[in-house]
Amino acid sequence: MSESGDIVLCARAIVKRFESGDSELEILHGIDLDLRAGERLALMGPSGAGKSTLLHILGLLEHPTYGTVDLDGRDAWSLSTQERARLRNRYIGFVFQFYHLLSELDAVENVMLPAMIAQSRGEFRLDRRAHLAKARDLLSNFGLAHRLKHRPAQLSGGERQRVALARALFLDPPLLIADEPTGNLDRDTGELVLDLLFRAQQERNLSLLLVTHDERLAERCSRVLRLEAGSIVGAVSGRG
Amino acid sequence: MYRVFLSWRFLRSRRTNLIGVFGIFLAVGALILILSIMTGFLEETRRSARGSLSDLIITLPPYSDSRRPRDPAPVLELLRADERVEGASAHLGWMCILTRQDERSLRILVDSQSSEIAGIKLTGVDPATEDDATEFRPSLDTVGRDENGDIVAPRLRVANLADPFAAPPEYDASVGRPRASVIVGEKVMTYHGLRRGSFITLMTAVPDPASDTGWSAKKREFVVAGCFRSGENEIDLERVYIDRGQLARFLSGVSEDDALPQDSIHFSEVLVKLKDYERDAEAARAAFGAQLFRAGLIDESCSIRTWEEFREALLGAIENERVLMGIMLSLILVVAGFTIFAILSMMVTEKRRDIGVLTALGATPRGVLVLFLLIGFWDALIGALFGAVAGTWMALEIDPLERKLSETFGVQIFNREVYLFDSIPSVVTPLAVAAIVIGAFVCTLVFAAIPAWRAANLDPVEALRNE
Repeated sequence: MSESGDIVLCARAIVKRFESGDSELEILHGIDLDLRAGERLALMGPSGAGKSTLLHILGLLEHPTYGTVDLDGRDAWSLSTQERARLRNRYIGFVFQFYHLLSELDAVENVMLPAMIAQSRGEFRLDRRAHLAKARDLLSNFGLAHRLKHRPAQLSGGERQRVALARALFLDPPLLIADEPTGNLDRDTGELVLDLLFRAQQERNLSLLLVTHDERLAERCSRVLRLEAGSIVGAVSGRG
Repeated sequence: MYRVFLSWRFLRSRRTNLIGVFGIFLAVGALILILSIMTGFLEETRRSARGSLSDLIITLPPYSDSRRPRDPAPVLELLRADERVEGASAHLGWMCILTRQDERSLRILVDSQSSEIAGIKLTGVDPATEDDATEFRPSLDTVGRDENGDIVAPRLRVANLADPFAAPPEYDASVGRPRASVIVGEKVMTYHGLRRGSFITLMTAVPDPASDTGWSAKKREFVVAGCFRSGENEIDLERVYIDRGQLARFLSGVSEDDALPQDSIHFSEVLVKLKDYERDAEAARAAFGAQLFRAGLIDESCSIRTWEEFREALLGAIENERVLMGIMLSLILVVAGFTIFAILSMMVTEKRRDIGVLTALGATPRGVLVLFLLIGFWDALIGALFGAVAGTWMALEIDPLERKLSETFGVQIFNREVYLFDSIPSVVTPLAVAAIVIGAFVCTLVFAAIPAWRAANLDPVEALRNE
């Protein structure tokens, strides 16, 4: 978690407007944001402040009206759809509040999904054993060795989120984006998941961008940005 | 990798996909079965029409002022000399009215709504050479057979296949004046309640320059020597065979035992069978026309037609029915495709969140499009494969299947008497099966493309918010 580490994500003058009838509604008013390698950045703010929209833009899921997002030294929103999807696959790991696992796949298959998307059928077949071993290792490290062949419906909320975390880490992306990762979990389970998240982030020196309402969680981050009405109104250093 | 893997998983996880698969199975199976039967009908009809008509038919209207020879010998000689010709035979055709000395004949004559007819086409043939050009003798041998091929009613057949116009054993030649024999169509036999040895009276009109009207009436009593079955309804209903010489005597008004007068009408058409119809038909027709015309054996009033042209209306109608049936049954494919469209649309709605997740994990819109197209592809593959196997099997086994079903339910599904076929004709054409399977794939993929396109264009953010 070095403050002077390489910049992994660099967003400049991010503006997002939505058309609302005859008028336009500006959600984000020129956000600038840098995220360095190994940094934990918490994004806080009241509901409707534009946190999720900003997260989606930085995660290359939603197009900004204006502004640039540089990832891996490239302006991500000027790339083709194909290249941007590839960048998202290799560069970003997502952890969602509602886990978002595919119900038809078991835990191991869910974890391997990013590799399935990244590789052709032939490539995946060649690497299948290695992928299987890696997925099992990840799940075992997260205390799910006995749940490898279980489907999401057979897992608890905490277990599902741990599978989702393993999936996000599977291709070793340099950037991890987590949207309220404990928002749907009870306190103890949430703590367990957070410990795993932070441990993985630390061990792999990942950049972590976290959206949360939880002050205690934000305190464990190295930097906290407060977003209100589409603008960053404050930045403080955390304890993490 | 994920497209094939996930499409298969999505397919297996949703039982409703089976409805789509079943729809395609049913459509492909039904199309193959019905088209095979229609093709069978067409080929069977072509076969029977060819059997009675030979390959080329030269029609020579016997006008009294014609300078053409009255005897067919020169025409037959010229034709038989051609190496492309397998055989040739002369016919003399004349329309007659058939009556008997019973009330049935009167009933047939007065009933305008009756399907039983009194008008018949009396066809004079040369038994010695007829088989060179047509399937005359086999038609005498296929009378009333049951499913095992055994003759059901031997009393209806001619007594002597080698000399079919010989007086039948049931006929006592010593009673009254001598009578010539005729062989009637199976339906004529049934409608008029005839048996071998029955007497029938044939009446007609012949040109007569001495008469006020230009015509004079002729009638004569004949004895039924047996019946034939061509398999073609029209022929079996209207045709009566007679020795050509005896027909010429009847029309000339001379007795059965007398010599034919020189000016009598001897023949009205010549039937030619070619060694290779497909190869030689057109060339032979042109060559025969030119040669016969140069030799003064035909004139402008004559025509040379192929058997297909002769039966153009009938064959065209069956072919038309086959195409129409194919088009109508293709609608089942459209319905099956629509089912797949509905199921996939439902799936896209239900899988919105998963589509969002896949996009977040790096799937492209094109990848999502292919993923949902593949689900349609699996539907088509399973449905079309099983449908093709089941349809082909049913088409090949339709006859025993029909008999079994008829036996089980006590209902006659296929009336062999109506169609004059001993078994349900069915011909499976590999090309047609391939076309139907390809059609099923195209139809399914076109219908699957619409929901797949919708899935590919889903906003991932909207999809992920969908909790």
